[in-house]
Amino acid sequence: MYELLAAGLVNIAQVKYLLPLFFGTLAGVVGGALPGVTITMTIIVVLPFTFGLDPLQGLAAMTGVYVGGSAGGLVTAVLLGIPGTPAAIATVFDGHPMAKKGEPGRAIWLGVWASFFGGLLGGVFLIGATAPLAAIALQFGPWEFFSLFILAVSMVAGLTEASLLKGLIAGGLGLIVTVLGSDPVMGQERLTLGIDFVKGGIDFLPVLIGVFAFAQIMGEIERSGGKAQLAGSLERGVKLTVSHAKVIWEILSRPFQLLWFAFVGVLIGVLPAIGASAASMMAYDQAKKISRRPEKFGSGIPEGIIASESSNNANVGGSLVTIMAFGIPGDSVTAVMLGALTIHGIQSGPLFISQNPQLAYGIFAAYLLAHPIMVLILALGARWMLRIVTLPKAALFPVVLVLCVIGAYALNNTMANVYVLLVFGVLGYLMVKFGFPLAPFILGVILGDQIEINLVRSIMTDSNPWLFITRPISGGLLLASVLSVLFALWQHRRMQKKTAAADGDSDF
Amino acid sequence: MKKLIAGALAALLPLAAGAAYPERPIKLIVPWAAGGDTDNIFRPFAPLLQKQLGETVVIANVGGASGTRGAKEAKDSPPDGYTLYAVHDYIHSTYWAGVADVNYTDFEPICLISSTASVLTASPKTPWKSWQEFLADAKKRPGQITVGATLASTSHFFPALIEQATGVKFKYVSYEGLAPRMNAILGGHVDLTDSNLTQKGKVDAGQLKFLAIATEKRHPEMPNVPTLKELGVNVVYDVNRGIMVPKGAPAGVIAKLESSCAAAANEPAFAQAMKLQGTDVRYMGRPEYAKWLKQNDDLNRNLAKDLGLLKR
Repeated sequence: MYELLAAGLVNIAQVKYLLPLFFGTLAGVVGGALPGVTITMTIIVVLPFTFGLDPLQGLAAMTGVYVGGSAGGLVTAVLLGIPGTPAAIATVFDGHPMAKKGEPGRAIWLGVWASFFGGLLGGVFLIGATAPLAAIALQFGPWEFFSLFILAVSMVAGLTEASLLKGLIAGGLGLIVTVLGSDPVMGQERLTLGIDFVKGGIDFLPVLIGVFAFAQIMGEIERSGGKAQLAGSLERGVKLTVSHAKVIWEILSRPFQLLWFAFVGVLIGVLPAIGASAASMMAYDQAKKISRRPEKFGSGIPEGIIASESSNNANVGGSLVTIMAFGIPGDSVTAVMLGALTIHGIQSGPLFISQNPQLAYGIFAAYLLAHPIMVLILALGARWMLRIVTLPKAALFPVVLVLCVIGAYALNNTMANVYVLLVFGVLGYLMVKFGFPLAPFILGVILGDQIEINLVRSIMTDSNPWLFITRPISGGLLLASVLSVLFALWQHRRMQKKTAAADGDSDF
Repeated sequence: MKKLIAGALAALLPLAAGAAYPERPIKLIVPWAAGGDTDNIFRPFAPLLQKQLGETVVIANVGGASGTRGAKEAKDSPPDGYTLYAVHDYIHSTYWAGVADVNYTDFEPICLISSTASVLTASPKTPWKSWQEFLADAKKRPGQITVGATLASTSHFFPALIEQATGVKFKYVSYEGLAPRMNAILGGHVDLTDSNLTQKGKVDAGQLKFLAIATEKRHPEMPNVPTLKELGVNVVYDVNRGIMVPKGAPAGVIAKLESSCAAAANEPAFAQAMKLQGTDVRYMGRPEYAKWLKQNDDLNRNLAKDLGLLKR
């Protein structure tokens, strides 16, 4: 196996593979950084260029897009507080505050290096454990998926800020959004009020951009009061330069956490239909739970960025597992990669690795090499990207808003998504204004559909409700959700006491 | 910043141009999840069509509600030839079973491209080694054997035809599209499903079992799989896939699409790709396809009636 991997690395290191890999990664970073442009859209743009290439060249380019895109989203998340891709949602929570505190360079590089190490760890899982990971994926029936998503929803308790009640309301609102439109089984219309564009259901992406971009930008505009201010709060001095050794040490001094975040990312990647957004939020929640200073989360601390970024890049490794083991794509990005194989007349499926070892290990090698290339690209581009924070807000915000609208429109080339963007932009702004946290809301929107369909499937398969508890993995996950909620409540109370004590100190 | 501007320009450019159809990328709606059989068939077709049209053809997977979510979206799209709809026989079955109000008459047919025979497929976790063992077990345990299916679609009709012909009773579980069904059946979370030769790689690897194929004669790609007919079950069933556009598309656009589709479907590369998918290329031009759709609709109405699924 390692000889094959070494041969794959030597093979990929040739210029004819390195070039597509480089340009793919570059396209991925740019596409990832643009809010509203998804990795799938970027890969579709790149796809036509790969038709004339040999299969491995094309796959190298697409692997590059995938890896680059997963990292690129952090740039916008950190600098503007708007996730460039859904996978970067959790990066906003601590990345943006850190940038606002005057350390955008540190925040970006923490994200980049965490992506690098997380991605490589994901690669180790991908290459070394394809078979066992695939076996885990098969253990997941509808009961297990249901319980896993319940565990994910239980994170709402951990992601709420000041008020638990407001967090729960936000999460509930998110779940309600997924009910709008036609039901997933028989297509009955629900809560559509006869409005045409609601009938098809609400797409996730315009909701995400609307909630984050509008809430962020409107809030900033309000604070600056229309004055020609710079986007970065320069009063405290913006540090653009950063010591890489220090940043890398900040990440590597937490080896077990890093490994755990990468594992969470890989595992979520292996299970189909979940995606990197849930992976990064789960890792963030876990980081908060194991932290000795949970009250600091959300204020711009390194752990938050590391958790989110290491897990979302490891997630890419995970989603390549099912394609290698069964030829089943875990998401739309890997589906396009599979399609590329078919175009070249290669049968994907469980025998793919043994029948096409050169190609399979070529993909592994491309995946590993895409990471240093991603770091290189961001190193070259960081100088320019960081300039964003020194731009006047009056120039920057309109451009970003226009980009968001174009992204929402381009998603399906319909105006419906632009209206969705507008509605949820207003909602997001009001939520922030009245102190409702956005994270639980987004979590609800991500998970609602999946919870519903898996509950329906479980009951259709077997009407016995005890199966949720008696099936070991499912029962374990449900137990974990209960513990997760209890732990979060306990932590919440302790944090409140601490803050109360701190307030007391300052008063006297 | 420069990148942001460049991205904005790139997104706006297509709007600025103005010439004959097509002048910007075309969206092909596949109403099922990525990696399913419909997706597998249209993925290799899209670049061939793109070559003929001279514009990018992008596949959009719009799954949900037995494929009718994608159908509704296609129907509601502007009839300008920039939204194509990858359709199969489910458009008739879901209409008659009352899942959706979208009918094949809401669209203009362009061409039929392929025909894929259905194969009754069992999970590796099931004890049956052959059709006979399966049938004996199914008769002993009515209503207990689970079938993963897109409700009211072809993957529901095909097992229902077997139920009707053999007198067994299945329990249906909703899995939209073949890709999610595959995950469930590989893990043994459902016992049976309708699949086809697109999945033969998994059978070769021992991860799946083909019990019987619904063709007239055994298929050359999988000659050791018996036909339902030779097993005494008179069921022949296949799923036919084609391309349609929303009603009201200009005649020039339809003509361009029809000629492009014909050229693409007749390319050797398409035949080669379909062979890998265990699918026959079945090309029909616009007039022939329209006639066939009418017949197929009547056939499906009668099927729905016979199976007790008719809701109209």
